[in-house]
Amino acid sequence: MMRKGKSYGLKIYTAIFFLYIFTPLILIFIFAFNLGEGYVFPLQGFTWNWFLEFFRDSTAQRSIGNSVIIAVISATISTILAAFLTVGLLKGRFRRPHIYITFLMLPVLMPSLTIGISALVFFRTINLPSGIPVVILAHVSISMSYIFLIMMARIESLPLSLQEAAIDLGASWSSSVKDIVLPALMPAIVAGWLFAFMVSWNEFIVTYFLIGNNTTLPIYIFSQLRFGISPKVNVISLLVTLFTLLVISVLLLVRRLFRRERYG
Amino acid sequence: MSIITKKNRDLAFPGLIWFLVFFLLPLSVILVYSITERSLMSGEPVRFTMDNFIQVFQKRHYLIILLRSLRISFFTTIISILFSYPVAYFLAKRTKLDRILIVILMVPFWINYLIRTFAWKLILSDNGILNQLLMGLNIIDEPLRIMYTQTSVLLGLVYTYTPMMVLPLYAALLRIDDSLVEASMDLGASRARAFFDITFRLSLTGIFAGTLLVFIPALGSFAIPAILGGTDSVMIGNMIENQFNLVGNWNAGSAFTLSLAVLSIVLVLFYSRIFGLESIYKNRGI
Repeated sequence: MMRKGKSYGLKIYTAIFFLYIFTPLILIFIFAFNLGEGYVFPLQGFTWNWFLEFFRDSTAQRSIGNSVIIAVISATISTILAAFLTVGLLKGRFRRPHIYITFLMLPVLMPSLTIGISALVFFRTINLPSGIPVVILAHVSISMSYIFLIMMARIESLPLSLQEAAIDLGASWSSSVKDIVLPALMPAIVAGWLFAFMVSWNEFIVTYFLIGNNTTLPIYIFSQLRFGISPKVNVISLLVTLFTLLVISVLLLVRRLFRRERYG
Repeated sequence: MSIITKKNRDLAFPGLIWFLVFFLLPLSVILVYSITERSLMSGEPVRFTMDNFIQVFQKRHYLIILLRSLRISFFTTIISILFSYPVAYFLAKRTKLDRILIVILMVPFWINYLIRTFAWKLILSDNGILNQLLMGLNIIDEPLRIMYTQTSVLLGLVYTYTPMMVLPLYAALLRIDDSLVEASMDLGASRARAFFDITFRLSLTGIFAGTLLVFIPALGSFAIPAILGGTDSVMIGNMIENQFNLVGNWNAGSAFTLSLAVLSIVLVLFYSRIFGLESIYKNRGI
């Protein structure tokens, strides 16, 4: 905490770094409103045309719909599985829980490409056709690991003695889980669901290999980027970013509530 | 107590079974493909072979792509360390606004990386924003050809993964006790000596954790080279996709995929042996 005044260099560097991180995004948003097809300065004037074009694009609409369906279903399944998995693994009797935890970290740390390819080969081998259902199956196994990580941090502060006390006082085991353990995990369950939603909503590579002829929003954006780029993509990017900011705000709000509860 | 933990244990099984069936089983299926010839479903007797792995080193074409991917990911990691160290240091040691700044820094991470990559296409293309700026300022006469080269891929990867380096570095620097640095300087160490002997050394955990979070996804990247790269910047990910979508050689494709998976698993296990797994998940900032 000494030499506090001498960090101008660092301060300026950090400001430039933030500029570096945000300028590309801001450029995208500016061109969502620019008259004219090209990405050329000086700007040619203001227009809502690209928004209108986006709202008339039925493929884009359908891809957003599919992305929402996949994200909601896979987040729900993976949250349920991960909640029970966390309780079972960390509050149950396992010989070497660390081995399981190491394995469960793999989907988070391995390149998504390897997960996508192995899922593709697996589903083809057992003859499950490509499409939304298999994408959901694959997304669940990825987001389950993320939620498990979030819940693991939360459940460490929950002593087993709480559950014991409930049972000593006459509660059945199942009601001790339902009324003590799961409510205590609730903030992590909500945060985990939102996190899983975002993982699935953004997921591109695994979906790319499994979606078949159907489409999701990331797949749609990717196909747009391969053919020449229309400013419609800028509009989608802007809307997606606004939606993302909304979800992050909810996530932060949940975390804040959770923090208050812990110290309150 | 023992009855509770025994009953609790059963709750883990649905998740573990799901993980076994939809994650570990698929990995073992590509293991089988990578050590056999032809399709498993063709009905012909299965023959085991190591050719799928050996050809990576025999065919010049594959070897070039492999070495290039390692080189690009290596430079992505090095540059991201250099870019993010001062920022992480500032956040950990020189400001009280660190929490809110970290949240702001993570915002782009949540926005689809295809969108962020698209932004770089706008900036780097021949008539893109960077060339417009440089030519407008009369710094260059001819547009720089950056787009569709290894440079554009490298820039895209660095931009996408650098925030992943800031987080663990910040966490590691935050844990360093400032009085250690003060003590060393009281004992006569120069500022540079105190930095390298204490701060830098103690932040190595953060650098290694960040390396995992940057190097592995960069090595397995597929969309960024596909969008920003050209023929001279094809990476392993694109080569693997080709094997499945164009060439149709599942055995070779599985061998490449498995090598990538095994390499990342080895890196993770190596890291967890030295530093413990907790430090990875506690550093992720989630």
